[in-house]
Amino acid sequence: MASVAELKEKHAAATASVNSLRERLRQKRERLLDTDVARYSKTQGRAAVSFNSTDLVCCRTLQGHSGKVGADELTLISLPQFWRSILRTSCFKPDIGIDIPLLLQALVIGRLSPWEGFLSKSYVYSLDWTPEKNWIVSASQDGRLIVWNALTSQKTHAIKLHCPWVMTCAFAPNGQSVACGGLDSACSIFNLNSQPDRDGNMPVSRILTGHKGYVSSCQYVPDQETRLITSSGDQTCALWDVTTGQRISIFGGEFPSGHTADVLSVSINSSNSNMFVSGSCDATVRLWDIRIASRAVRTYHGHEGDINSVKFFPDGQRFGTGSDDGTCRLFDMRTGHQLQVYSREQDRNDTELSTVTSIAFSISGRLLFAGYSNGDCYVWDTLLAEVVLNLGNLQNSHDGRISCLGLSSDGSALCTGSWDKNLKIWAFSGHRKIV
Amino acid sequence: GFPPPCLSRNPSFLGRVILLAAAAATLSSPAMAAAAGDGAGDFSFAAEYDGPPLPYSLPRAIPLDLSHIPLASLSSPPASPSASSSPLPVVRPLTPSSLCSTVHSHAHPVPRSAAPAPAGGAAVVDSPTSVIENHHAAAHHSAELPSSPSDVEGPDEAGRPALPPKPHQPVVTFAETSGSLLQTSDDEDEFEEEEDDDDDDAAARAARPRAAGQTSGSFSPAHIESGSRRGAKSRGCYKCGKGGGFWSRGDKESCLACGARYCSGCVLRAMGSMPEGRKCLECIGRPVAESRRDVLGQGSRVLRRLLSAAELELVMKSERECPANQLRADDVYVNGLSLLSEELVILQGCPCPPPRLRPGFYWYDKVSGFWGKEGHKPHCIISPNLNIKGFLHQKASNGNTGILINGREITKSELQMLKLAGVQCAGKPHFWVNADGTYQEEGQKTVKGKIWDKPIVKLLSPVLSLPTPNKAANQCGEEAVHMVNRAVPDYLEQRTVHKLLIVGSGASTILKQVKYLFMDKPFTVDEREDLKLIIQSNIYNYLGILLEGRERFEEEASNDRRKISQCDPSSSGRDESGFCDGTTQYSLIPRLKAFSEWILKAMALGNLEDIFPAASREYAPLVEELWKDPAIQATYKRRNELPFLPPAANYFLEKAVDISRPEYELSDMDILYADGITSSDGLASTEFSFPQMPFDAQGVDEYDPQDALIRHQLIRINNRGLHENCKWLQMFDDVRLVIFCVAASDYDEYYEDANGTIVNKMIESRQLFESIVLHPTFEQMDFLLVFTKFDLLDQKIDKSPLTSCDWFDDFTPLLSRNLMNGSSRSTRSSHSGATLSQMAVHYMGVKFKRLFRSLTERKLYVSHVNALDEASVLSVIRYGREIVKWEEEKPVFGASETTYSEEPSSYLADV
Repeated sequence: MASVAELKEKHAAATASVNSLRERLRQKRERLLDTDVARYSKTQGRAAVSFNSTDLVCCRTLQGHSGKVGADELTLISLPQFWRSILRTSCFKPDIGIDIPLLLQALVIGRLSPWEGFLSKSYVYSLDWTPEKNWIVSASQDGRLIVWNALTSQKTHAIKLHCPWVMTCAFAPNGQSVACGGLDSACSIFNLNSQPDRDGNMPVSRILTGHKGYVSSCQYVPDQETRLITSSGDQTCALWDVTTGQRISIFGGEFPSGHTADVLSVSINSSNSNMFVSGSCDATVRLWDIRIASRAVRTYHGHEGDINSVKFFPDGQRFGTGSDDGTCRLFDMRTGHQLQVYSREQDRNDTELSTVTSIAFSISGRLLFAGYSNGDCYVWDTLLAEVVLNLGNLQNSHDGRISCLGLSSDGSALCTGSWDKNLKIWAFSGHRKIV
Repeated sequence: GFPPPCLSRNPSFLGRVILLAAAAATLSSPAMAAAAGDGAGDFSFAAEYDGPPLPYSLPRAIPLDLSHIPLASLSSPPASPSASSSPLPVVRPLTPSSLCSTVHSHAHPVPRSAAPAPAGGAAVVDSPTSVIENHHAAAHHSAELPSSPSDVEGPDEAGRPALPPKPHQPVVTFAETSGSLLQTSDDEDEFEEEEDDDDDDAAARAARPRAAGQTSGSFSPAHIESGSRRGAKSRGCYKCGKGGGFWSRGDKESCLACGARYCSGCVLRAMGSMPEGRKCLECIGRPVAESRRDVLGQGSRVLRRLLSAAELELVMKSERECPANQLRADDVYVNGLSLLSEELVILQGCPCPPPRLRPGFYWYDKVSGFWGKEGHKPHCIISPNLNIKGFLHQKASNGNTGILINGREITKSELQMLKLAGVQCAGKPHFWVNADGTYQEEGQKTVKGKIWDKPIVKLLSPVLSLPTPNKAANQCGEEAVHMVNRAVPDYLEQRTVHKLLIVGSGASTILKQVKYLFMDKPFTVDEREDLKLIIQSNIYNYLGILLEGRERFEEEASNDRRKISQCDPSSSGRDESGFCDGTTQYSLIPRLKAFSEWILKAMALGNLEDIFPAASREYAPLVEELWKDPAIQATYKRRNELPFLPPAANYFLEKAVDISRPEYELSDMDILYADGITSSDGLASTEFSFPQMPFDAQGVDEYDPQDALIRHQLIRINNRGLHENCKWLQMFDDVRLVIFCVAASDYDEYYEDANGTIVNKMIESRQLFESIVLHPTFEQMDFLLVFTKFDLLDQKIDKSPLTSCDWFDDFTPLLSRNLMNGSSRSTRSSHSGATLSQMAVHYMGVKFKRLFRSLTERKLYVSHVNALDEASVLSVIRYGREIVKWEEEKPVFGASETTYSEEPSSYLADV
């Protein structure tokens, strides 16, 4: 028994020394890092990209993630039910009865709708572009994966999911199959060429099971059709062979250098597909080598909140992060330095800190798109750390939190998904290209 | 920039619209036939008409698609194997029997298109009389009714080059064109029924089937079978042959695909279970004949007599909805391009779809929504701006007025209409008409006016058979597109789902119990297999815990003995069994000891689950031996001292020997006791609705028929991974009620958390409860607290006081007097009428209610359950349903919450 106490003491001491070393490392880094990208760029005389509000326009709205039924089915809802829903709202005053003007207003603005019971909630949670065609797959809380043709804004596939609590989706590099994962702790693969069954449901071509927590993110390894990396709420990431359904390796978990909280996001290095980073609720990003599952190559500290999104910089030497602390950061992969913080000035009347939900880089890396939980979507100049545009203020912008965003493979368009059920595609008006 | 949507598509137009020579001839003016003849040098059998516009309507030629050819059941197999697979069965010169069976079973399109067969196949085989009659009739026709489509075979066709047997493209016809070749037996019937009192024309039309009927009579006896059958086909029931002559309407039912008719006695035999509606068994999977599309889903008298109402409804539903009966998108051509299937969906799903859409050629004016058949004036106005490919052609409606509307040259009647509407039409202007009827001249910005403004236009439009806009058509395009997107059909099935979230210890047992209660087949084979693995690996876990305990007990026992022998050396010699030569009753024999050490090591490394289920075959005998070993049994007797042994372990350990066997089959009870639901143990959910009849007729509950409509979904989430800042809980913001389960027996149980501190499980539950209640997603959510494992509480409350949990240290049950009086504790106390365990649950409920009120200012519902007992789970689920209902109806009875303190189960006093 005494030995246990001793061990505990030793452990505490070791933890303390690790922490002090970490602190020293941080100080050392700070000393060495006497500037950041923005300051350096300014000294070099660089000016921020300038956009005006009409340069980037919403050119498509993809609607379809709505569990809404058409007018002809409205009769299905019964009068008593509607009555009850009226009574639940503020239109009903116990003393005076129903406030008719208020009721009409509620009906008009849609706060109260006769088909309320039929509206299933359909937050868009995730989207992904095909590498070649202009197709998008999106996953929503209405329990559907929808494959869109981004050019025509038509749906090409609507896949009903077994488990509607889906959190992520991804397109295979060949564009022939999609993967999705969510609270069922499994990653399901659908082959888009397979025939729907009698009910019109697409059969699952493979289910990857093994995670002990929800699947928060998945991404195909770019040059290998059959490899997939998932991150999960069980604090691990995993590499899968899609054809066999086997888990090839697990990153984290019982190994000491793994994440200590839910992993929320992964991003694979586009120039070296053996490396990937994972962002986690423990406010760290870890770099992994697919070939060495036993330990993380490097751990990046800096954020003060859960890291919701990581994305490799196009050159594969840096990566960006978006976090609950409301900032995006740019890290250098090899040195581990935090190159830049993209922190927005907080609105005075905005008491709640809005978090970064998703980020994406333009093809050149000059622009960083970041979606925020309050519905903003900032376009940052990565060099000067200035906001050049807020898509949330533009015409036709989303009404809800931006939950996911992604750039098409040729960089010509940005797709944003939101909790307002819609996806929107943004592109440059005029002849400008996204730099 | 972002490229515009690709609109151009490689038109496979020519390839599709190749008309058969026969068909070309049916384009029917002699000039045209000649033109086709001229072209014969280039393409011998087909031509596309591109001459000057014709003033009259053109009947289109038929698509002869093999699958379209109505085939009645053949009584005898075809004479040659190719007989049924040949694309144009008639072309083959063949044995008379095979020919006649094919020719005639195919109703008339086949003979017609077959006419150009070498040397007139029909003529060769048919009896001379029939040939003469045929030719006579045909010639008679073409002379009399040059444009009638029913005289397909002009005499000139006989000399035409042979048709290569080529699969026909589904080139298309307007079904409305009278006498369309695809008209099948139903129309035939009408002919037959009417022919006697009809005029010459009808007689002439009927001549063809008649002729067929007559030829049948002239066959030699060798072909009697097929001949008589054929006779039956044209006259009587296709199956039994009865009922020749006239059919009264209510006596027959015909196949939607091939038109074969059956008498009421044979319908069910010929059509079987009708998975695709009224089709004979051979036709299942084939598309329906276009002329019969209208009757899809309309029950007939025969069926109504033969089937029960429910069956009929089912058959009709499948008839309407099965994919084989749907309009095929590539048969519908709009603006010269065949539709893609999505486009068809768009077209049919738009707010104002074209009525009675049939295969055929149409034009569609996207801007104004005008819709019409190719070469005709507008037929109706549908939703504008539908995303359909292809461009409107100037000649789409074959107008010759020179005036263009949206690029289409309008017809004379439209011109008249424009004049009526007061539109200046001098100088052949080009108009741009929008969906709302506003029009402007091309190239000019000013809106000149609204076509539909004058009431006279609306009045006169029907006279000129021009369409007027429908109100819904005026919706702007954006909206129309948006409406289209709803087309995912299973939303229709969706009914109101009340989602109930259940979390906490014992939640999975409740979910499993609910599955048993409401589902016919609660667990699939896979799920059972999964559960079996869980149970099997758990048994090793339990054994491991026992072995750990055994080690401790052994150490203690030997310590004790040493102590005893130290402080009282005299007693060391006393003979106590098991205390001699260093072994205690907890000692194992070496072989088992090795095994136990191995298990313990695996447990310490955390890979027990990886090793064991797979190895269970190998270790089953060892497990048996181990379990039966007195040392383990002795340890098991002291299981109360093993804090980490879960209560369910007792149940499984008792059956350890069975379970460890590979052939172990798990019982329903095992499933209920098992830990978790799936191996990943993520989210699990089940949907159910309360059956029509209430389980117990409670007089208080007025029966609400709505209940049967409302579906409930019970969603269980694992409490592992739940913490305050848990993001995915956002996904459950649409649940109606959170059922939080707390094991009532947890108050004296402990577990070791990650930092190695020992935590009381009740305190842990309280922390979890707090974090969930305070989660922003559940800000306004109703909570139902359910105490599970009430039975265990009942068992142990006597031995282990509730006050062993710090949180409950002020529990002072008013039982003391009774106890002093010596009455058993489990009997009801005279004071409150409740047992000690009930009072304990009550007390804990109050504790939680206080906590909840302090956190949220709202009221917590509390209940308790023994999850192993169906009735008790059912009552909790019903209680949950009632809470949802009450919350919905709350305002009806007054908005204040105070009215609610009297609700059922309020034996748990409100705080």
